[in-house]
Amino acid sequence: MPHIVKSTILDAPTGAVWNVLRDFNGHDRWHPAVATSTIERAQAADKIGCVRRFKLKDGSELREQLLALSDLEQTFSYCLLDTPIPMFNYVAHVRLLPVTDGDRTFWHWESRFTTRPEDADRLTQMVGEQIYQAGFEAIRRHLKEAA
Amino acid sequence: MARVYVSTVVNARNDRVWARVRDFNGLPNWHPSIAESRIEGGEPADKIGCVRDFRLRNGDRIREKLLGLSDYDMFCTYSILESPMGVDNYVATLRLTPVTDGEQTFLEWTAEFDCAPERENELVSNIGAGVFQGGFDALKRAFGG
Repeated sequence: MPHIVKSTILDAPTGAVWNVLRDFNGHDRWHPAVATSTIERAQAADKIGCVRRFKLKDGSELREQLLALSDLEQTFSYCLLDTPIPMFNYVAHVRLLPVTDGDRTFWHWESRFTTRPEDADRLTQMVGEQIYQAGFEAIRRHLKEAA
Repeated sequence: MARVYVSTVVNARNDRVWARVRDFNGLPNWHPSIAESRIEGGEPADKIGCVRDFRLRNGDRIREKLLGLSDYDMFCTYSILESPMGVDNYVATLRLTPVTDGEQTFLEWTAEFDCAPERENELVSNIGAGVFQGGFDALKRAFGG
């Protein structure tokens, strides 16, 4: 089962990063790959089980469901329901941990999924770089602009 | 129950940092507060259940038992058997996680223990800001930041 793991250090306290990341419907405001996003059935974006339907800049449409969200642990988990690419059983976990030495943030983003063996490397690379790593860089810019 | 959480980032890959800290008998090699250490009964230092008997530079003597060690997840968990600190049920974990974005390692050092309520703040500070951060600072120096 392919396993994607990406992590980075952000020069901001976890509270500031969590304020941005905890909004399950907010990724269209900071992630460069996401064009528009809405929560289905007008549910709250922090209601466990809510579904975000979003369009990428390339026009493809995806649906993801919020599986868990914790303000105490500063973590959330979600799964893919619909996507045009051959990724199945995709479950992702985001967690923030404080770097007490300097009041910074350790951000860990990981997922597992199933796919055809010949697609595994390509998809692992694509999601890891274009979604996770690009997301790290975007939040870094986003926090700098907000400061 | 009192809790200590201290974390830092070291500028080296996690396997290099782990090689430096995984030896349960190796504190004197990297932690500036520790003068000498030995494993009781001649056991290997990575045998779960082994006991390290070590002495701090200030003369204090502490005995700690290895509860868990994982080369895969890169963590080490241990408890205090005997110390002059006045703590009970003390369990601590040192954990390393790779930072994939650059050759860095995220280190967390946590402890939980019971103590007299009026001593809790002092102990949390001594253990966290003193012992744990002191070890982190030494590792950061050893790996150049």
